[in-house]
Amino acid sequence: MARQTKSWRQLHQGTIVKTLLAAVVSLIFFAPILWWMLASIKPTPEILRSPPRLLGFDPTLNWFRVVLGNADPTRFNIETTGSVGRGSGGSTFYSIPYLRDSMIIAVGSTLLVLLLATPAAYALSRFTIRRSKDLTLWILSQRMLPPVVVAFPLFMMFRDFGLIDTYRGMILVHAAINAPLAILLLRSFFDEVPRELDEAAMIDGATRFGAFRGVLLHYLRGGLAATAVLSFIFSWNEFLLSLVLTTGIVRTVPVASSTFTTAFATEWGYMAALGTASMIPIFIFILLVQRHLVRGLTLGALK
Amino acid sequence: MTNADPMTGIERRAGREAVLRRSPFWALGRVINSERPWPWIAPVVILLLGIGLYPFIYNIRNSFREFNPMTGNVEPVGLENWRRLLQDDRLHGAFLTSAKYVLAALVIEFVLGLAIAVLLNSGPAISGLWQSLMILPMVVPPTVAAVMFRVLENPDYGALQWLLEGVGLIDKQEPLLGGTGRYAMAAVLIPEIWQWTPFFVLILLAGLKALPQDPLEAAQVDGAGAWRQFWDITLPMLRPMIAVAVLFRLVDLLKVFDYIFVLTSGGPGTRTEVLSFYAYQRSFVTIEWGYGSVLGIVILVLAIVLANVYVRVFKVAW
Repeated sequence: MARQTKSWRQLHQGTIVKTLLAAVVSLIFFAPILWWMLASIKPTPEILRSPPRLLGFDPTLNWFRVVLGNADPTRFNIETTGSVGRGSGGSTFYSIPYLRDSMIIAVGSTLLVLLLATPAAYALSRFTIRRSKDLTLWILSQRMLPPVVVAFPLFMMFRDFGLIDTYRGMILVHAAINAPLAILLLRSFFDEVPRELDEAAMIDGATRFGAFRGVLLHYLRGGLAATAVLSFIFSWNEFLLSLVLTTGIVRTVPVASSTFTTAFATEWGYMAALGTASMIPIFIFILLVQRHLVRGLTLGALK
Repeated sequence: MTNADPMTGIERRAGREAVLRRSPFWALGRVINSERPWPWIAPVVILLLGIGLYPFIYNIRNSFREFNPMTGNVEPVGLENWRRLLQDDRLHGAFLTSAKYVLAALVIEFVLGLAIAVLLNSGPAISGLWQSLMILPMVVPPTVAAVMFRVLENPDYGALQWLLEGVGLIDKQEPLLGGTGRYAMAAVLIPEIWQWTPFFVLILLAGLKALPQDPLEAAQVDGAGAWRQFWDITLPMLRPMIAVAVLFRLVDLLKVFDYIFVLTSGGPGTRTEVLSFYAYQRSFVTIEWGYGSVLGIVILVLAIVLANVYVRVFKVAW
């Protein structure tokens, strides 16, 4: 952008004011994240200090040692909390199993949804389908389904099929939640590739599937990546259905972080460490697909 | 074009078809290549029907039954649950709470989001960095965000509580969380606004960047002030983006659950009990399965009616 290549000297006074204002506003939005990340390396008295300090505290890695390294929390209690008391059920703070469960479910459901939604998106974009507008609206309406409406029937259904606390059950549910997003978003990417390309390939003798594969491999990589990242994030963040359809044998990160809150205030450090560990990979993902974010969040309605 | 088409690798076609004919997937290949759309669409539709439609039918059936804690069985109760719906004051309250929550969140997020989008579009230095920072709150898991704000809003040591006390907006006797719950609604709206204002910023900023510049330049030549330009030209041109952004937020706001579950559990009393939280309470806490199903249907119908009216009024199209 031309604006950014101007040297500081040339910057108009108005630009300086705008830049400062933009910096302040975006830092206000970033502040809670920064504060929470800092809390994950602060000893408890420092977390509970009001107002919080940005610098000038003794950082500790003890929260991460417990949450990610399965260290015994009682060993650290004197240092981090100033008391010898034990937190409630120390071993439950060890969060690698929650991160692993979340990862398996998010990756599994993302792969499943891409596998099922990509052909559907291609068909919606390429074939003449009777009442395709109604079909699109029906798919869209699935996105409007409040989880609380399906939570109870799904719970009963899962109980009958023995799917409670299983990866495959959660993968199915998260894939279904993300299917509308994936179909409509991928369709908008397919729509950008001219139909003539497929037709030309088929006149040259390619099968329909061959034409589909060609478009997919050559034009849809960016679109697939963006869809995958968004599906991953929505699965990673989903809470209510994970809460209802698991009892603790399988437990995702959002459910785990909500169970941490029911115990004593001395556990903020563990929560901050788990929160930080679960946020950072998502931040990296989302910044990679920033370009497609608007389209993704509006299911392809805006480009 | 004597070489193989790089897109489809046609020169191998003959060989591949022979392989297809021999393989057990031959029939599948025939169906897929038959130009009929259903084989392409059916798998995902089956998934959506299984997870979306089955529960809906189950809810309807369940709405005529109720769990009886005395016998431990689910017994038919006829229209009892539906009759109960009409006299349920708590539902009435939850409906009003939801309406308040949705309206407050939409208005604040839209106005703030528009203002920030205009600011970021007006040419501050390194605007890409500010935009990236703004995006991050949106992808924090909502439960983690709610936990964060539980500490920030803590009456004794919360940084936000301290800040608001500092500027004199609230005092120690009536904190954000706790006290008589006067600010409980604000307490659950704060993480909501923090996470989702960036959604409006992102969409409206993309909209602003895509606007044609000619009308604005023409207005400038005609001597229109900045405000006039914004109200009469920019805002009307942004209308389609605004319509889509509000629609998506509206749909998601009707589903809101996480912040309330973590921050207030609907309390104090039922002050922050929105519809979806109330339905959850009936189904999973007080174990009134049948009535919980009725509430679920009500929420679903409400969401579909609202979204459809909205799509029609604002002419949003896919």
